Amino acid sequence: MPSGNEQLAIDFCGMQFNTPLVLLSGCVGFGEEYTRVKGFSNRDVGGVCLKGTTLAPRLGNVPHRIAETYLGMLNSIGLQNPGARKVVDEYLPKLDFDETRFIANICGSTIEEYVEVARIFNDSGIDAIEINISCPNIKEGGVSFGNYPEMSAKVVEACRRVTGKPLIAKLSPNQTDIVENARLCIEAGSDALAVINTVMGMAIDVERRRPIIGSNQGGLSGPAIKPIALLKTHQVYQACKDKRIPIIGQGGIASTNDALEFFMAGATAIGIGTALFYDPLACKKINEGIVQYLDKRQLGHVTKLVGALELNSGAVEDCGGG
Amino acid sequence: MQADNRETIFVEDAVVLQHQPLPAGQYLMRLAAGDTASQALPGSFIHLRCHDDLPMRRPMSIMRADAGAGWIEILYKVHGSGTKKLAAARVNDQLSLLGPIGVPFKQNNYRSKPLLIGGGVGIPPMVFLAERMCKQTDKQAGGVNPLVIMGSEIPFPFTPRPSRIMIDGIPNHVTACMPLLEDWGVASRLASKQGYSGCYDGFVTGMARQWLENMDADQRQQVEIFSCGPTPMLRAVAHLAQAFSLPCQVSLEEYMACAVGGCAGCAVPVYQNGKLSMQRVCVDGPVFAGNAVYPLNHDVT
Ligand SMILES: Cc1cc2nc3c(=O)[nH]c(=O)nc-3n(C[C@H](O)[C@H](O)[C@H](O)COP(=O)(O)OP(=O)(O)OC[C@H]3O[C@@H](n4cnc5c(N)ncnc54)[C@H](O)[C@@H]3O)c2cc1C
Ligand SMILES: Cc1cc2nc3c(=O)[nH]c(=O)nc-3n(C[C@H](O)[C@H](O)[C@H](O)COP(=O)(O)O)c2cc1C
Ligand code: FES
Repeated sequence: MPSGNEQLAIDFCGMQFNTPLVLLSGCVGFGEEYTRVKGFSNRDVGGVCLKGTTLAPRLGNVPHRIAETYLGMLNSIGLQNPGARKVVDEYLPKLDFDETRFIANICGSTIEEYVEVARIFNDSGIDAIEINISCPNIKEGGVSFGNYPEMSAKVVEACRRVTGKPLIAKLSPNQTDIVENARLCIEAGSDALAVINTVMGMAIDVERRRPIIGSNQGGLSGPAIKPIALLKTHQVYQACKDKRIPIIGQGGIASTNDALEFFMAGATAIGIGTALFYDPLACKKINEGIVQYLDKRQLGHVTKLVGALELNSGAVEDCGGG
Repeated sequence: MQADNRETIFVEDAVVLQHQPLPAGQYLMRLAAGDTASQALPGSFIHLRCHDDLPMRRPMSIMRADAGAGWIEILYKVHGSGTKKLAAARVNDQLSLLGPIGVPFKQNNYRSKPLLIGGGVGIPPMVFLAERMCKQTDKQAGGVNPLVIMGSEIPFPFTPRPSRIMIDGIPNHVTACMPLLEDWGVASRLASKQGYSGCYDGFVTGMARQWLENMDADQRQQVEIFSCGPTPMLRAVAHLAQAFSLPCQVSLEEYMACAVGGCAGCAVPVYQNGKLSMQRVCVDGPVFAGNAVYPLNHDVT
């Protein structure tokens, strides 16, 4: 039987991941913040996604930027970041690339901006580029690129032209046909998919009769969105499996059991975001839990779990619940 | 952000050693948290899980820390769902916490007359700072002689008593003090608009202004202000300090998710050297220069 580490180490788009866990964009700053916590280590994860980065620096949104909700939280940070040039010149040199793979998360309000940011990261030591296609498209009245499959694919296609690094399109759940979106992004050259980004939501302070979030609405994350994320992962997997496009499943994963569910639904890697806020040492525990599960069933390597779901009779997708 | 910050925040399963209800939904809690206690400084806070059913943590200032005995104390007021659940915690229960977090108050000016102003749940870090200052007094040439002014519109989380320490510039009938501070030899006075006996009838800044106006310019040069409390109070304190050209540090509150600098959820506008930036209350603060967060002539909030 391989040891715990060997059981968890995976290949992801040609990158060697220590474990299938990936720390999610926006939850761990520019890669080093959580190392403040004793017992936390970037070595416990396969990859770390940096905060969403634009071409020019952004101050982000006014407070309050977060609001706790039942089993989750809303956030509207407003992509606060120092701009791609500064991230590459000043932040990347300070990261320890021996510890894990670092993945940029790129944003833009035009296709040209995405391309410029992708180009800047392409000329850096970054291991891969995740495209956050949930940004508003200012040329189309501010609608999110990610809400429309064709628009998403255009962004991916344009970025593909300027980089040979692994590209990961991060799909939004705030659209009607995420599977079509996945298909078009794969055709446009995405090497992997991240499923799902946050679900848009709102919370109201009834005393003040105002939204709690300073910019009125925010993205919902945490256990509240897990069932949605799991189903989307399962659906997107159907479009990916023949093409061997790996998925970073994410949305509310907080325990070993959650991670196992996402593997079975088709995720090759497991994104951890909001769960870190609950327990900064969660990754160690989830890794241990996965190894225990594998050992108990003598499954050997974690990849055995990917897409291992057996559906009940009666196609769940078509009956619409209820 | 970089390597010198590595492993400065501990994750501890802290046992509740004492949990004492105080007037008006306020509680004093002592927690066994040796690593946090050993590194805590005035202004540091913890990120506390109030109950297993509520995974998002709550930031709470450290009021006292005993490194030798390995405990910390917090003082909190029941506000909403989290603190309500916290109030039900019993002695010997275990609560997960992260700590100590944040940039503490800097005592780099060593002006001999520090003025500490605490309002409501902003009182705890002022108690911590006063304790450190009075213990430092022996070591430093000349020493420092702090005055602590506290305000509350609900009954104070301690039983006030008349002070024996005279303070120039404070009306004679304003005698109520915090016994713990008095026992350490630290002068304190209380303010409230609720008509509590011995208290200054008004806001903390009203009393502070009288005290400052009573001094001559040389004496005033020895004053430095430290403050924690609700936002309107902090703004008034920062503006008072700027009006008298005094150094001032304030400890801010903002909603927090990670409390370790990862999410930028707690960022607030800070104005420094003519430039606006968004800084994280958890790790860039919670203590900031008063004139950077509440500039007198350029209010950025
Ligand atoms: C650095 C710092 C130190 C603090 N020290 C103390 C202290 O010593 N004693 C004390 O009683 N309180 C303190 N607070 C405020 C305390 O964190 C809030 O009262 C508490 O989070 C309220 O939680 P709740 O669930 O009871 O309220 P709810 O209103 O139900 O909380 C809902 C959400 O909003 C957040 N929230 C609400 N009010 C605040 C606030 N004022 N600051 C930050 N988050 C808030 C909560 O954390 C929670 O995520 C401090 C806050 C900060 C930022
Ligand atoms: C505070 C916060 C900030 C985020 N910022 C970004 C971002 O900049 N770019 C991005 O693609 N996703 C961002 N996300 C989304 C997460 O990366 C992740 O997809 C989502 O939170 C779902 O996972 P979770 O429930 O495990 O947190 C952010 C999420 C949170 C909670
Ligand atoms: S609470 Fe996450 S950065 Fe401060």
